[in-house]
Amino acid sequence: MIMIRSIIRPEKADTVLAALMDAGFPAVTKYSVAGRGKQRGIKIGEVTYDEIPKVMLMSVINAADKDFFIKTVMDKARTTGKGAFGDGKIFISPVDSSFTISSGVEETAAASEGMAA
Amino acid sequence: MKEVIAVVRINMMNQTKQALTDCGIDAFFAHEAHGRGKGFVNPQVLEGASQGYEEAAAILGEKGKLYPKRMVTAVVPDSQVSCVVETIINTNQTGMPGDGKVFVLPIGDAVRVRTGETGAKSIA
Repeated sequence: MIMIRSIIRPEKADTVLAALMDAGFPAVTKYSVAGRGKQRGIKIGEVTYDEIPKVMLMSVINAADKDFFIKTVMDKARTTGKGAFGDGKIFISPVDSSFTISSGVEETAAASEGMAA
Repeated sequence: MKEVIAVVRINMMNQTKQALTDCGIDAFFAHEAHGRGKGFVNPQVLEGASQGYEEAAAILGEKGKLYPKRMVTAVVPDSQVSCVVETIINTNQTGMPGDGKVFVLPIGDAVRVRTGETGAKSIA
């Protein structure tokens, strides 16, 4: 199991969420974050903005689905064409275990069906 | 050292905070978050829709709706992981879909900013 945290543009969040639903990853947690990247924020005139609002999408999925998940997010979160600075990042980290509170059951990679996080 | 991330109902925050304290975990932080799960269906809504109520059918159609949740994150020593997970589950369990999830992730290292302590000391 792996956790995928995607930082994307807020205006792309709905598109990405819909795409993930269609791709079979219904379970997602979304929260708002603010940050900057290696361009050190954005400079408009004299003012530099280095706390740019973004949306973080967190999903826990089977390791086998990693590439498909990333491709789905990447396709939708990227600005049309070659993409642009500020489209975001995707981070992947290992997950030791995952529990559904309502049933108290520990999810395993084998019980992958519907797990999709 | 493990990071325990729990996504819980917003009205359960007070109980969860209390439970974590009882478990010996004083330090944690919480986020406002929105989330969706596997997309379980409320049996009452399903019943309503099958009886032809349009409101119920409309709710059923809202696939992928995001519900407000709270995300609680705590970094805990290995020895306390199972206690924390069990406590969170016992506290938040109503048995209905939407109770949330608990994830356990490995953490490489932690540093206390005030003193510069690392490792187990930093979260003790």
